[in-house]
Amino acid sequence: MADTKETVKELERIASRCRRSVIRMVRSSGAGHMGGAMSCMDIVAALYFHAMNVDPAYPNKPDRDRFVLSAGHKCMAQYAALAERGFFDFSELDTYGKLNTKLPGHPDMHKLPGVEANTGALGHGLSISVGMSLGLKRSHPGARVFAVMGDGELPEGSNWEAASAASHYGLDNLTVFVDDNGLQISGRTVDIMNMEPVGARFAAFGWATKDIDGNDMSEVVEALEKLPIERGRPTAVIAHTVKGKGLSFAEGKVSCHYWKPKEDELLQAERELDEAVKRGGAA
Amino acid sequence: MEAKYSDPRKVFGAAVHEEASRNPNIVVLSADSGGSSGHGDFKNQYPDRYFEFGIMEQGVVGIASGLATTGLIPVFCAIAPFVTSRPFEMFRNDVGYMKQNVKIVGRNSGISYSDLGATHHSLEDFAITRMIPGVTVLAPQDPGEIKSSVRAMFEHCGPVYMRIGNDPIPELFPHSPFDIGRGRVIRNGEDVTLISTGTLTGSAIEASEILVGRGIRTLLVGMPTVNPIDRDLVVECAKRTGRVVTLEEHYVIGGLGTSVQEVLSEEFPVRVKKLGVPHAYATSGPYRELLSYYGLDAAGVAKSVEEFVGASG
Repeated sequence: MADTKETVKELERIASRCRRSVIRMVRSSGAGHMGGAMSCMDIVAALYFHAMNVDPAYPNKPDRDRFVLSAGHKCMAQYAALAERGFFDFSELDTYGKLNTKLPGHPDMHKLPGVEANTGALGHGLSISVGMSLGLKRSHPGARVFAVMGDGELPEGSNWEAASAASHYGLDNLTVFVDDNGLQISGRTVDIMNMEPVGARFAAFGWATKDIDGNDMSEVVEALEKLPIERGRPTAVIAHTVKGKGLSFAEGKVSCHYWKPKEDELLQAERELDEAVKRGGAA
Repeated sequence: MEAKYSDPRKVFGAAVHEEASRNPNIVVLSADSGGSSGHGDFKNQYPDRYFEFGIMEQGVVGIASGLATTGLIPVFCAIAPFVTSRPFEMFRNDVGYMKQNVKIVGRNSGISYSDLGATHHSLEDFAITRMIPGVTVLAPQDPGEIKSSVRAMFEHCGPVYMRIGNDPIPELFPHSPFDIGRGRVIRNGEDVTLISTGTLTGSAIEASEILVGRGIRTLLVGMPTVNPIDRDLVVECAKRTGRVVTLEEHYVIGGLGTSVQEVLSEEFPVRVKKLGVPHAYATSGPYRELLSYYGLDAAGVAKSVEEFVGASG
């Protein structure tokens, strides 16, 4: 178990560095969808550094695992992990929000290696992921598809079309993480459109499900190591997370959904995450 | 000699089947729509390449995109409004923006689901699909062209929207080579150009014959690629005749006629008369009667062209 403990610690360090990269991007553009990027950061870091078969030297290798960020506005989390994993130079992070950047405010597969789908409009990523999973079952049975969805996009009906198809076709090579931070731009998700109980809804659509603390790296790792939960079924991991995770002044606040910081807030964010990185632990 | 009529859906399904026998990457997607799209034989022969999803067109278009990322070539055919209007954002983002090699086919297009009413008519599909950058829009005009355009659609790597009708259509051309982006001159004439596409080119040919008897020589062009439009041919015809009529089973705005106007207003401005369905929810009734009601049968087209020629001196 010592190995697992060390793995978790290392992934926590990586996630802290990625969170610091998110703030670097916010500094570049002056604003960004920070809250959701921070809430899913531990999951995204664990996927790129512990679960997925991807190769930055050969980003389109046919048997790779796929990552689809259905909640495309959380793209700073993906960009941070891709940079950390060596898909592109860190200096690209300083182009975020700038003219003709490879890192637009929602990901573009034709601009940045490692991006698999052009998401941003909500409720699209799961259908695309189902198609990928179905295709890979035929061509590369070992390849897996991981999607990260936001809890705020769950009311989109297209998700449930895709969810039906995933279980109908027994896509156990597909895992969805619902980044359930409980908040969306106008307030609490349960007040805006109550999709609880999220896990039970996926289960009713034929999925195997599990609830975890999505900001507890040991729980994320454990979930990843036990996939699929059930052979013949797609997996939905309901990851309970905290919006703005890692920043004392932002955690659990709706206002960090799209964050346009003042200079002193930005400095504080940089300071807090620099300390976390230096400390070598979780943010 | 009586022309031979064929069911466009059956011709389409058979053409996909034939292409699929040569290309193992072709897969067929169905939203409870495959049987009516002529895919019955394909399904029987290639059950592992036929995916049924039930009635979820938005999901199917997104899934098609995901399948295409793995190297497969998905074909999704269903009633035209349900593969264009309903899943438009999936078409735009997942297929268009992602530049995926997906073939979406709208059948029973235009007003061919005549008596079923406006929910089942498709009179804006040219307009909305040609607005998606990189999407090729095809409307083959006779059975031979359906066959050759299906082949061209698969030879072209990229998103394609094709529309076919419902009623049996006559064989119009002895040979139907298909070059995406190229129109064909069907009849030479000097008085007026008539540019037609898809299901109505049969009416256009008949109309041009009626017009001969009225002393009007029509330069008749078949334009089975709506996007990208054959700019050179449109301009050349406008230069030859000085006036242009367009004909399509589509709203008079946004489709072939508008595309022709866009070209001519930039390159060689002449008067253009657009024939199609007025921009309102179409009424319902038997198909042939509906075409006649909107002046889109041979007699109606001939009358409109004659009036236009008279009015434009």
